[in-house]
Amino acid sequence: MEIREYARPKSMDEAMHLIHEEHGTAIGGSAWLRTNTKTVMLGVDLSDLGLEYIREFQDHIEIGAMTTYRELETSLLLASRFGKIFSTAVGHIVGIQLRSIITVGGTVAGRYGFSDLNTTLCALGARVVFYPNIEEDLASFIEKGYAGPFLIEKIILPSSARAAYQQMRISENDFPIINTAVAWMGTEWRVAAGSRPAAARLCRNAMKILADSANPSNEQIEAAAQESSKELQFGSDIRASATYRQKILPVLVRRALLEVRG
Amino acid sequence: MTITIYINGKREILECQPGDMLTEVLRKAGYVEVKKGCDTASCGACTVLIEDKPVLSCSYLAVRADGKRITTIQGVAEEAKKFAQFLTAEGADQCGFCAPGFALTVLSMKKELRNPSEAEIRHYLSGNLCRCSGYEGQIRAIKKYLEAVHD
Amino acid sequence: MIDNFDSIPPADSKTLKATQKFNVIAHDIAKIDGEGLVLGRPAFADDLAPANALYVKLVRSPHAFARIISIDPSEALALPGVACVLTWKDCPRVPITRAGQGNPEPSPHDRFILDEYVRYVGDEVAVVAAEDEATAEKAAMLVKVQYEVLQPVLDFEKALDNPIVIHPEPEIHEMFPIGFEPKRNIAAAYNMEIGNVEQELAKSPVQVETTVHTQAQQHVALEPHTAFSYIDIHGRLVIVTSTQNPWHTRRLLALALQMPLRQIRIIKPRIGGGFGGKQHIHIEPYVAMVTLKTGKPARLALTRREVFEATFTRHEMRVKVRLGANSDGKLNAIDMQVLSNTGAYGEHALTVFMVAGSKTLPLYNKVNAVRFGGHVVYTNKVSAGAFRGYGAIQGLTGLESAMDELAHKIGIDPVELRRKNMIHEGETSDVFRIMGEGTEGVAMTIESCKLEECIARGKELIGWNPDRLVWEVAPGKVRAMGMAIAMQGSGLPLIDMGSARIEFQDGGFFKLHVGATDLGTGSDTILAQIAAEELGVDVESIVVYSSDTDNTPFDVGAYASSTTYVSGSAVVKAARSLKKKLIEAVAQKFGVDPAFVIFDNKTFKTLNGSKSLSLYDFSFDTLYHDGERMKTIEATESFTGAKSPPPYLAGFVEIELDKETGKVEVVHYVSVADVGTPINPNLATIQIEGAALQGIGLALYEDVRYSERGHMLSHNLMTYAIPSREDVGRITVELVDSYEPSGPFGAKSAGEIGIDTPPAAISNAIRNAIGIRLTDYPFTPERVLMAIDKAKTEGAN
Repeated sequence: MEIREYARPKSMDEAMHLIHEEHGTAIGGSAWLRTNTKTVMLGVDLSDLGLEYIREFQDHIEIGAMTTYRELETSLLLASRFGKIFSTAVGHIVGIQLRSIITVGGTVAGRYGFSDLNTTLCALGARVVFYPNIEEDLASFIEKGYAGPFLIEKIILPSSARAAYQQMRISENDFPIINTAVAWMGTEWRVAAGSRPAAARLCRNAMKILADSANPSNEQIEAAAQESSKELQFGSDIRASATYRQKILPVLVRRALLEVRG
Repeated sequence: MTITIYINGKREILECQPGDMLTEVLRKAGYVEVKKGCDTASCGACTVLIEDKPVLSCSYLAVRADGKRITTIQGVAEEAKKFAQFLTAEGADQCGFCAPGFALTVLSMKKELRNPSEAEIRHYLSGNLCRCSGYEGQIRAIKKYLEAVHD
Repeated sequence: MIDNFDSIPPADSKTLKATQKFNVIAHDIAKIDGEGLVLGRPAFADDLAPANALYVKLVRSPHAFARIISIDPSEALALPGVACVLTWKDCPRVPITRAGQGNPEPSPHDRFILDEYVRYVGDEVAVVAAEDEATAEKAAMLVKVQYEVLQPVLDFEKALDNPIVIHPEPEIHEMFPIGFEPKRNIAAAYNMEIGNVEQELAKSPVQVETTVHTQAQQHVALEPHTAFSYIDIHGRLVIVTSTQNPWHTRRLLALALQMPLRQIRIIKPRIGGGFGGKQHIHIEPYVAMVTLKTGKPARLALTRREVFEATFTRHEMRVKVRLGANSDGKLNAIDMQVLSNTGAYGEHALTVFMVAGSKTLPLYNKVNAVRFGGHVVYTNKVSAGAFRGYGAIQGLTGLESAMDELAHKIGIDPVELRRKNMIHEGETSDVFRIMGEGTEGVAMTIESCKLEECIARGKELIGWNPDRLVWEVAPGKVRAMGMAIAMQGSGLPLIDMGSARIEFQDGGFFKLHVGATDLGTGSDTILAQIAAEELGVDVESIVVYSSDTDNTPFDVGAYASSTTYVSGSAVVKAARSLKKKLIEAVAQKFGVDPAFVIFDNKTFKTLNGSKSLSLYDFSFDTLYHDGERMKTIEATESFTGAKSPPPYLAGFVEIELDKETGKVEVVHYVSVADVGTPINPNLATIQIEGAALQGIGLALYEDVRYSERGHMLSHNLMTYAIPSREDVGRITVELVDSYEPSGPFGAKSAGEIGIDTPPAAISNAIRNAIGIRLTDYPFTPERVLMAIDKAKTEGAN
């Protein structure tokens, strides 16, 4: 990527101004910029905005947009509230040298199809906060995007959940063929699937089948798993066909649900 | 534009463009131990430490490194020599193109993980690809190295 | 991810009898360049390029097949800092081959450095040079090219006699008959038959037919192809390049550029892996053209995408094997028919294809009849070239899959089926005599073959039980085992030649100069060990310099598993000859007959002990003190193999297969090999471990994918994933005691053999797991699951 001008603002207001008024392009993790052939007139580097944090509040957890995958993966706080789902979901991605660069905000903003993290965040009922203080459901942002330029400040998670992540890859360092995350939120089940190869979506019908029981029956689980592949669209790419994705999603959803239910 | 970095303990003022990645800027400045293997953040050959954390210099904007401490394998040469003894004792250095980035990650792992299992070692180093060795010889070397330096 | 690391510990210290016989050979000497490489000292071509070198970029074809109507470089040339733009009009109109092979090459001369036609996406169109890299990149994009886009041929099954002719140009030719018929899109063809295969098949009570399709594969040496060039003080062109064969590069380049050979010098620095991918001239002509045009140094490092799209891949092949046997498993006939895809140009077309037969069929040498044949066809895809395993892996995959089918049909342990039919020491095969690489072969008797021992040890290591080759570990998850055996060669007999020169230096050390080409395998170290053993000194006394056409003696290069056997034998001869000269010189000094002088522990002594002189002192005497007797003591010797003794290997695999998703994971891969005496057991072991993982990559993950219009879709490491260190549970390699009388200190080759068995062994394991023979590689989760589903549907019907 060619970047004509570069700015590293020190405040959110300044960053917002550069993005809104000067048509700046936000730079999050900066990974894979080199594979991009676009020319950017003004690159706005978000690394000095103090957005690298994972903080616990009384009824929720906040993750700053510039928090890296490596921090998610090694966070004791996240592990104590959500089990192994973060380390399982992002720990497969290439290597720690890359995971020490790529950020939560960059991943959410990109709404990438292949993302392991977006699927996980959707399942955990995450909300995304655009500066200044515009809060939206993350799953619906992934689905619909945002009208106009935006600056992601943080991600908000509920205080805890029992969750699991499952994926299929041809080899360990490859992108997923399909992935799913499921979570028992205390009052309801959430099920998301991504890398279809399009971006993550909630499996709302499957969620309905599971309803509000912390201990769904095997039959309910199987029905929800089957439903997940019926309610979503799948595509083909070099890694797999739509048919294959559709075929194995229920297997992964079932395994994830069983992992959470025990 | 110019950036000031502190590389292997030495202050360097380097010229770069805003879109330049750190790998090219370092290599141009003579730090050719930072290798360029893939262009897609996949192989780990370009690994350097930024503020003591291993990162891919191919995916890190040079301008973002302004003011930061950077370590290449040459910056930890004594430790690297020690590890090299174990790696070469297994013949696992092979072509050596990935070796500087790989060795740097091994040294980081040594600091970060206490008595890692083999699965943990493999996981920590999964971002360092090697096409020569099949990884087994590297694992043998790492296990013996960790045993020796922890004693 | 399989985590069985505690249950299967890594292999360790090999206890070979061979170790006891030698001082230096069969010892694990650390690679002499290892520490420098780990520390990242400047060693590779791109580390060494002069700061003032022009950056070279290539304009590449966006079309699979097209004629260039016009090239307008004016906008590019107008960019400040651009030095030149060169097109096909700037090149001599001389057909060449890019294959690094002997002279005359068995590959057709069907290629120009730059041509009016482009034949695959990525084919070179123009060469741009500029003072910095960004300008060169920009200039390359500003070169305006108009194409007449032609209909390509992309499916190799449809290439033969297709009305679209990929190579209509009249100048192209073969160097000797290789079955070259470009009008039919045939780059090469070959057929042979020993005995009457059809009759033998018809007579056989049990017959099987298996067809496999092995895909193209990328080498992915971690260092991309890199070179720089300059004009030296004598006005000669010097190219420092990541090549596996400096002399072939010099010879091919001289032809391509129409220059005298003496005007070119090729230097190979350290190389970041080769695997066959650098056994060609891919980049050297372009830096050379720029340097010749501008007089300035020029550098070119391919991007990873260029390496993928525009160097070479493994040959895609369809291999059909028919076997005829008695009901007790005795093989009567083998028929192997092959279709090979060489892509746009015919580099290594004939030889890779022939190896599919020549390095597999002799495994089962007791048949009454054997036949091999087929075609190598052109398509509008990136060229195929040399790649570790080179034909053998494709042929063997077909043969060893068919062998397991036969075992199933007869109902016998696949191991026993092989033992009943395989080759043993003291035996031969007519195939050796009939099939060479591109020419007739060389008859040979096998003097070392420890396949029985390899198989026995492999069975132990994997825990082979023919009554339990599949078992359930969880609902829907099974584990299964499979195996395959393999052979390779050690250099090309009577074709490959290597040389070594050893010179005695003051201080009592030795300069060893070899043309051989260390790709990172450690051959410099191995050759130093060989010299040290023969001379009776330690390895530290040997200083190695290699692979420089001006300063080292000739060697064909590192390919065909030749370096240890061919170049190593040259080192033995040179050391032997040097030792004789040293003793003669000392004998003269002592005034005794050389027969009465011995050299031991770095000291010359007369037999009766009356006189003694240290190597150290003598080194100064011969260079400084001895008046008229002073001289440089050196020896240069060459070697070419009269035979190509095959190493052998038995590969065993345990897989875990998820029947619900189709995912196959390798739990444990075991390779037990007979490589003769391993000169350096560590380095031999790592060759086989690394090769096994590449073979597993081919079997399960790696695939070169194209769009319908011939654009490569898997053109980087995000879309073409090579095995990481978390993919395979464990690879265990062991070497069995073996001694090859014709090899240096009993050695055979170790570089290629390890890659050959995984595709067939894994296929056989999957067959045992689900009862289905998969035939299209790689065995992705989707392919496995679809096969299971198809079988279910067919079963239900």
